[in-house]
Order: sequence, then structure tokens, then C-alpha cells
Amino acid sequence: MTPDVVHGALFALATYLVIGSVVAVPFVIFDIGRIDPAAKAAPWTFRALVLPGVVAMWPLLVRRLTQSRKAR
Amino acid sequence: MSVSYTAVGWNRAKKAYDATIASGLVVYVALFCGVGFAAHPNATIETLLIRALATASFLMLHVILSIGPLCRLSPRFLPLLYNRRHLGVTLFLVALAHAVFAIVQFHALGNVNPLVSLLTSGTGFQTFGAAALCILFFMAATSHDFWLATLSPRAWKTLHMGVYFAYALIVLHVALGALHAESYPVLGIATGAGMASLLTLHVFAAFHERAGDRDAARLNDGWIDAGPVSDIQDGRARVVCAEERIAVFRYEGKISAVSDVCRHQNGPLGEGRVIDGCITCPWHGYQYLPGNGRSPAPFTEKVPTFDVRVVDGRVYVNPEAHEPGTPVQPAHV
Repeated sequence: MTPDVVHGALFALATYLVIGSVVAVPFVIFDIGRIDPAAKAAPWTFRALVLPGVVAMWPLLVRRLTQSRKAR
Repeated sequence: MSVSYTAVGWNRAKKAYDATIASGLVVYVALFCGVGFAAHPNATIETLLIRALATASFLMLHVILSIGPLCRLSPRFLPLLYNRRHLGVTLFLVALAHAVFAIVQFHALGNVNPLVSLLTSGTGFQTFGAAALCILFFMAATSHDFWLATLSPRAWKTLHMGVYFAYALIVLHVALGALHAESYPVLGIATGAGMASLLTLHVFAAFHERAGDRDAARLNDGWIDAGPVSDIQDGRARVVCAEERIAVFRYEGKISAVSDVCRHQNGPLGEGRVIDGCITCPWHGYQYLPGNGRSPAPFTEKVPTFDVRVVDGRVYVNPEAHEPGTPVQPAHV
């Protein structure tokens, strides 16, 4: 891989993760219970534990949240 | 099973399991560094730590990949399976520590971005390592039951089967990296032995499981003969196969049949028991009512159910599954 390709890929990844971080924090605090009722009353330790996965898979969770809002 | 999630459902067994992992790691790293210094007095602590963490994570991965087939071969290994996810998360953390140390040692403090240097230099073995680390991250990050529910058990299991792909990437990482530079054959022999042992275990387990997957003979009406009632212990099951495994339970003078596959992590329900009127999975304790395949309220898991009848002391099962959670009249013994 050339350095330019790697630079581009790392920039794209960093952008994705920054967006993920901005989405993930309010999600685990306010919205996680909307897609899984068992998470509604979960302690902060649980929310901190799932945070990395939310950052990594934020598009999936945003989609689930949108679907659950439309369903209400 | 939990109504509200917690971070970790701590119990005595989990604490003992994690304490064993932690102490084993500390002892291993200390021994590795100690022997390393003795053999190579000029070696730096950073180099020894990088190698100690690398070999520790590689060994842990072999242990993790052995647990599944070992449990199929003998139930005495089941305690290793119960908290395997803790081992997996620890593996990721140890591999991450190895990666961070290696990046700082070999790629930082130069003109080039350390990550760019990592992915563009050498034989490319770092790229394989980085890819494997990404897979291990996704597995560790989704190890909680929240993800099992959010992703669906099928998608979750598919993601976690990626551990085999991660293993292949790590073998390439080792082959093109450490083995490439190594003058002694010990590491090469150990890597080969590790691969051979994993392959052997998986093949043995596959043959062992195949015996249980042979379809039972069908009667003229399509039903399966599950054998005499007397062959099924009270509170236990007999597993029969008709394109899928069916667990036929005997309990309280009745016979019911449900899918053998637990909704949680595909555990073998047929190897469980009926406890307090519920079929209880031997892996993580998920429960289902035998009469309808539903978990007792407030839990919502369901498994498919099957019609059964008892004629002249023999149990017969209709292999056409009902939808998960469908009530089925049990047969009376």
C-alpha cells in the first residue's frame, strides 16, 4: 500500500470514529433503552462497556433508532 | 438471563475464572522476561515485553479455539466455556498492548505518521496483525448480551466465527514477521504444532458430533421413533435428529419435545435438565417451559416445539417444527 492510500484510509477511519463518538455518547445515555428495553435501567458501567461497540457500529444503531421511532 | 442488563453478572465462578486468567498472564509475562534477560542480557525490557505479550496472546488464542471442540468431546471442559468471552476480551487487551508497545518502539518518534509507517514498511506482516486486531476488537466490543440481542444471534455468531479468520491472519503475521527474522526453529515448530493441534481437535470433534447428526429413521407417517420412554431419565432428554436436533424431555410423568438449540448462544438444550419445571440450558442457564418452548416471564426467548406421542411405551416425534413458542400438548407416560 502506498503512503497516500494509507493516509486516505486513516483519514476516513478517523472521520468515521469521530462521528461515532459524537453519536455514541448521547445514545448510550438517552436512547439505548429504546432499542433494547433491558438496557433502559442499566447502570453506567454497562453503558461504558458497550460504548466502544456503539462507536464502531453507529450507523446500525442510528438505523435501529430511526426504525423504532417510526414504529411508535 | 437478566431483566435489566448489568456490565458483568459477577458470581464466584466468574471471579475465580478471571483471577486465574490475570494471575496466569502476570506469571507468564514475568517468566518470559526473566528467562529472556537470562538468555539475552543485552535485550531491552521493551523488546521482551513486546514478545511476551505477543506470545501470550497467541497462546491464549490457541486455548480459546480449543475450548469449543474440547467441550464437544467431553463435558468436563464445560467450565472453561461458560466464561470464554472473558478470555476473549482479555486476549484483545493483551494483543492491543502488544500492538501499542510495538508501534511506539518501532514506528513512533520519526518523520512519518506511526500508523502510516506501520502499514507501509517491512514485509507487510504488520498489516496482517492490524487486521487481526480489528477483528478481535469487534469481538471484544460485542461480547455483551446486549449485542447478541441487537445484532440477532445469527449475525452475532457469524461475527464471532471471525475468530478463525483472525487466527489465520495472526499466523501470517507471525510467519512473515517473527519467523522471518528468527534464526532458531523453536517458534516455527511451536506455531506448526499449535496449528496441528487445533486442526486435530476440530476434526475429532466434528466426527464426534457427526454421530449425533445422523437422521433418525422415519415411520410411514413421517414421525420419528425416539426410542423407549424408559431410556429417557426423568428430568433429562434424549436427542434425536431429523435435519435438525430435537430434544425430547421427560418430566413430571410427561414427554415434550423442543429444538435442541438454545436461543442464547446455540447451546445444546438436550444436554440440560428440567429444573423448577423449566428446561435449563447447560451453558448459561437460559430456561424454557417444555410445554410451549417459551422462557418464563418476563423473559421473551422462544424455541420451536414439536408434537409428540407415546405408544406402547415408545416415544414418537413429529419432525415438522412449530413456530417458536407454540404450545404443544405433552404426551403422558
